[in-house]
Amino acid sequence: MTEALDLSLREQAAAIAAGELGPAELLEATLARIEERNPALNAVVETFPEHSREMLAAAPPGPLRGVPVVIKDEWPLPWRAQRFGAAEMLAETVPGESGPYRALRDAGAVFVGVGNMHELGASSTGNVSVYGPARNPWDTDRCPGGSSSGPAAAVAARLVAGAVGADGVGSIRYPAAYCGLTGLKPTFGRSAMDGHHMAGVSTTIVSGALCADAADCRLLDSALFGEELAAGDAAGLRIGVIRGEVSEDVDPAVREACEIAIEDLRRETGGEVREVELPELATATLATVLIANSESLGSITPERLNDLDPALSPLGRGLLKYRALLPAIATIKANQVRTIARHTLASVFDEVDVLACPTVPAVAPPLEAPMVELPSGTLTADEANVRAGALANLTGIPAISVPVGSTEGLPVALHLQAAWGRDELLLDAAEAIENANGRRWVEAAPPVQGAEPLEA
Amino acid sequence: MEAANSPDDFIPAGLAALGIEADEIELAVIGAAHQLFWPAILELIALDTSQVPAERSPDLSQAPPR
Repeated sequence: MTEALDLSLREQAAAIAAGELGPAELLEATLARIEERNPALNAVVETFPEHSREMLAAAPPGPLRGVPVVIKDEWPLPWRAQRFGAAEMLAETVPGESGPYRALRDAGAVFVGVGNMHELGASSTGNVSVYGPARNPWDTDRCPGGSSSGPAAAVAARLVAGAVGADGVGSIRYPAAYCGLTGLKPTFGRSAMDGHHMAGVSTTIVSGALCADAADCRLLDSALFGEELAAGDAAGLRIGVIRGEVSEDVDPAVREACEIAIEDLRRETGGEVREVELPELATATLATVLIANSESLGSITPERLNDLDPALSPLGRGLLKYRALLPAIATIKANQVRTIARHTLASVFDEVDVLACPTVPAVAPPLEAPMVELPSGTLTADEANVRAGALANLTGIPAISVPVGSTEGLPVALHLQAAWGRDELLLDAAEAIENANGRRWVEAAPPVQGAEPLEA
Repeated sequence: MEAANSPDDFIPAGLAALGIEADEIELAVIGAAHQLFWPAILELIALDTSQVPAERSPDLSQAPPR
């Protein structure tokens, strides 16, 4: 059964459908593996074996029938309200059926656990949570990435083959990058979102899959989208490399791995590479942070801020209070920057099919001090990571993080963005990269599985 | 009149005006966030956006109309 746990998501689904793998045995083995491996990772903060067994007993014959998955602590389940990784959320939450829950249940999947996350979804690192931080399976002293820290760590350590995250400012792609996974941030509005406490309010958050490779993301995201994400071949792909600090103020080993991956992608697709300038990027990054932070203000009152749960981290408490000080004119300007950025991208995507740059400029930093060394100096990981991650959330376009290398025994990732609705093209491009490098990086296994770390 | 970047000028007055209390650690966090974000926020506010086309309730699932 150990071999079955290490199968891909699609292989597990196919083996169950063919009668070669018993879903009840897979479920029990998955629960046993979580019990065995999770204490070192804190990726899964709650399991509920009886509910999982009931889901399996009622599972319809869908494309994911009997396949165990983890869902981020950002979505309610019928038997559990989400906690958003925090002692207090400033939003009322109750158990219920979220859109991702219904979509995967109807596809036959079985939820086996809730994935840890960064407190209030407020960081790219995952180093703060009411449950204690999740740990990176590649090095348990390193950040797993945030805010979907637990889903990423769970898939990387093969507790499950797929997990549901959420991405409001890069929160699927950062942990995918740090943990060596593939993570798709869908086009805004394409994936299931109802039941989220910010649904109808947030203009940046989407649900999406974290899996080992693009084909597994295609399968899981097809369920979340409610439509099949058909495979193409990305032939003749026009690749735009974003110039400026997102590609240049980057750890040299990360930069080299991403340049190799871009050339792999060009060669594999018979495409072309050109440079693209996005002069509004720095302002767009700030605009994203302002919009994402101001959209949660509706549930805040001075009284509630004065009565915050003391178990919230000091960082969380301070940032919640700082949000209340942000001037309205800044948010209005941020929305105008959003308009400018959307028009700029619409023109850019007339000339190129995908935009490429590193997902994060340096590998996963230490949990104790999430700082990164870049050519420009030492920055917090959040300051550095948001540079590339924010634009897709601001404008609504899809984006994907693809593992493309390793340095210091830790994964390196390439970030690709495409025009609205071209999520399928991003998956095609990710598969082209996998084909070009012999699937070396999507099949790399972290040491928690007993494998030796890979070096570039 | 010069804009003030110092958290000493802005934060206590802002919190007091809203009736928000903050302990010493929270004030340190707020001060650090302010020093990080405020200069860029001032630049953003100073942008002349009078020519930006109005895009009310943009449909973020699609490209903007052109």
